[in-house]
Amino acid sequence: MAALPHEPKATSTLPAQPAVLVVKKHHSLVRWSHWLNVPILLGLILSGISIYWASPIYQQTPDRNTGNTDVAADIGIWIRAHVPGLHHYSSPPDWIYNHMSLGPGMLGLALRLHWLCAYLFMLNGMVYVAGLVMGGGWRSLLPRRTDLLDALRMFRYYVGFPFAKLARREWPHPVFNTKYNALQRAAYFSVPVAGFLSVATGWAIHKPMQLHWLAALFGGYNAARVWHFWLMWIYIQFVVPHVILVFADGWDTLRSMIVGWSTRVERPEVIANGG
Amino acid sequence: MEDKKNGDDSLQTNDKPSTDIKPKKDIAESRPAAPEDASPSVPIATEAETPAAVGATKQEAAADRPPSLPARYEPRRDEDASPVAAKSVSVEKPQSFFAERPLPPIEMAPRVLRYQSRRDFLVFGAGALAALAGAGLLLPQETLARIGINRNMDSPAKEWFLNRALRIDDDVAEALYSVNRSVPTYTKSQITPLKNNYNGSTPDPAYISGWKLTLSGLASGLSISLDIRNLLTRFPAHEQITRLVCVEGWSAIAWWAGLRFDDLLHAYPPMSQAKWALVESSVNLDASGNPDPYFMALDLPTLRHPQTLLATYFNGQPLTVDHGAPLRLLVPMKLGLKNVKAVTRITYMAEEPRDYWAERGYSLYDGI
Repeated sequence: MAALPHEPKATSTLPAQPAVLVVKKHHSLVRWSHWLNVPILLGLILSGISIYWASPIYQQTPDRNTGNTDVAADIGIWIRAHVPGLHHYSSPPDWIYNHMSLGPGMLGLALRLHWLCAYLFMLNGMVYVAGLVMGGGWRSLLPRRTDLLDALRMFRYYVGFPFAKLARREWPHPVFNTKYNALQRAAYFSVPVAGFLSVATGWAIHKPMQLHWLAALFGGYNAARVWHFWLMWIYIQFVVPHVILVFADGWDTLRSMIVGWSTRVERPEVIANGG
Repeated sequence: MEDKKNGDDSLQTNDKPSTDIKPKKDIAESRPAAPEDASPSVPIATEAETPAAVGATKQEAAADRPPSLPARYEPRRDEDASPVAAKSVSVEKPQSFFAERPLPPIEMAPRVLRYQSRRDFLVFGAGALAALAGAGLLLPQETLARIGINRNMDSPAKEWFLNRALRIDDDVAEALYSVNRSVPTYTKSQITPLKNNYNGSTPDPAYISGWKLTLSGLASGLSISLDIRNLLTRFPAHEQITRLVCVEGWSAIAWWAGLRFDDLLHAYPPMSQAKWALVESSVNLDASGNPDPYFMALDLPTLRHPQTLLATYFNGQPLTVDHGAPLRLLVPMKLGLKNVKAVTRITYMAEEPRDYWAERGYSLYDGI
């Protein structure tokens, strides 16, 4: 882009339509893999919890009345007892599985879907990495030395934002001359890492004999199952603020992940060089 | 860059005699931005009409400009210094390989941006609908019923597609397997309890006294019956402490002893074209206690593995009925469901045999 010696100014010929400045924020492969992750991760989580049902990793001594050992079933029982309107729910131990998975008692079907989604997830991960490399976007995800301090500034901004709004006080967004702020960077860096670890722990518990070194890396077969389970929660706890913040941030951010262009080019160094 | 091309169009229409299409286009372009939104077909239609305008929808930077253009543009650029000049990175500092680079800004006509946004939202929206429909189709019928879809969506195509995924996974498992790779072994202090996993109904131990192991599909063409005494005296015993992993996810470390399957293969070689063994237990019962013969397909390379045993001892004691007395298959490199208890018949086959759990929607190879 540095070498554009004869860039004509269309604004001069068409004064009614001044040009907008845009930047290519996301490579098309990144955009496609980003959205493909939605159904794939949903399929992995729903089928994964159905698989979890067959042999929960969190078990307790059998309940005196029901003989139940599954902590997730206990949560379902608790929910029925305490959430208004659920008193007639017919199978409280299955409440979690009926609402957060494909359903209880369908291990074979769930495994089949889980493998399908897992292979798609790995393929999609490769598409994502290819997009990061081809678009150069990977550089924006790397952690910086200043990130800890900047993340605290951003955290303070987010926490104070609602109060400042209520008090109608100025609450300026911390200024960064990078594509992402430190909190975003931490999130967008750790989610692909979690994806990689999910795949690795998935293989470790899927092939604990042929890949026993991989299971050993995570502390053995049983520990790898625990890893695999908790890695799922990283996606869940990432998605909620991610979606809220995209909508709070507005149209340009959403569009940039679909169309690729962002009209936010007012980063300091751009202005400095362009002006 | 886009505007430059739009400018090019208007320039062309000025320079050359206009066709009947182009004036229309000029009108469309020189109108203020708003009306275009009101009639979405206009920009799309005009862009499709002239090659140069089609070029305007492509988003490559200046490199794709037709070679004839620069000369024509040079004077224009000189006289019009726009306030929104886009030479962002002309002063490029030497950067580290890992340093974030500024994104190069590109000039774009608002209508092109709008057109592209509209197009991509439609494309991604169609993709989302397709994903929703596809995912809905792949969900189990029970799950669909739970969200209120009671129409039967099961079809041979759906089965084929999902089984295809299982097959791919089986092929991967088969490629990972090596007869020379040992499964991890453990010490006696690491032994964990192994539950009786007969599905609620353990067979009546009466079968044990008349138990025989029948081999068929042998190179000799004969069918051979062996009793437990034959097996225990003819073959050397081997022991191992290995992990048994269930398809459900739980696992148990146990101490097993018995004869090597490979020794049996050498003593009674299968027919030359055999690739599989059908390992059966006729004493298996279903959950309500009715006879439910259990049969498993096992590939010969797995049965030749030195850690594949026909186990007769469990944790130092002769096998009890709940662990498959008097002899069970122990293949720690397969899921637990392949470890057939109380084996009564082994048939060597050239073709892939039937498999109890594969017929119930699980995978066939089950290598772990």
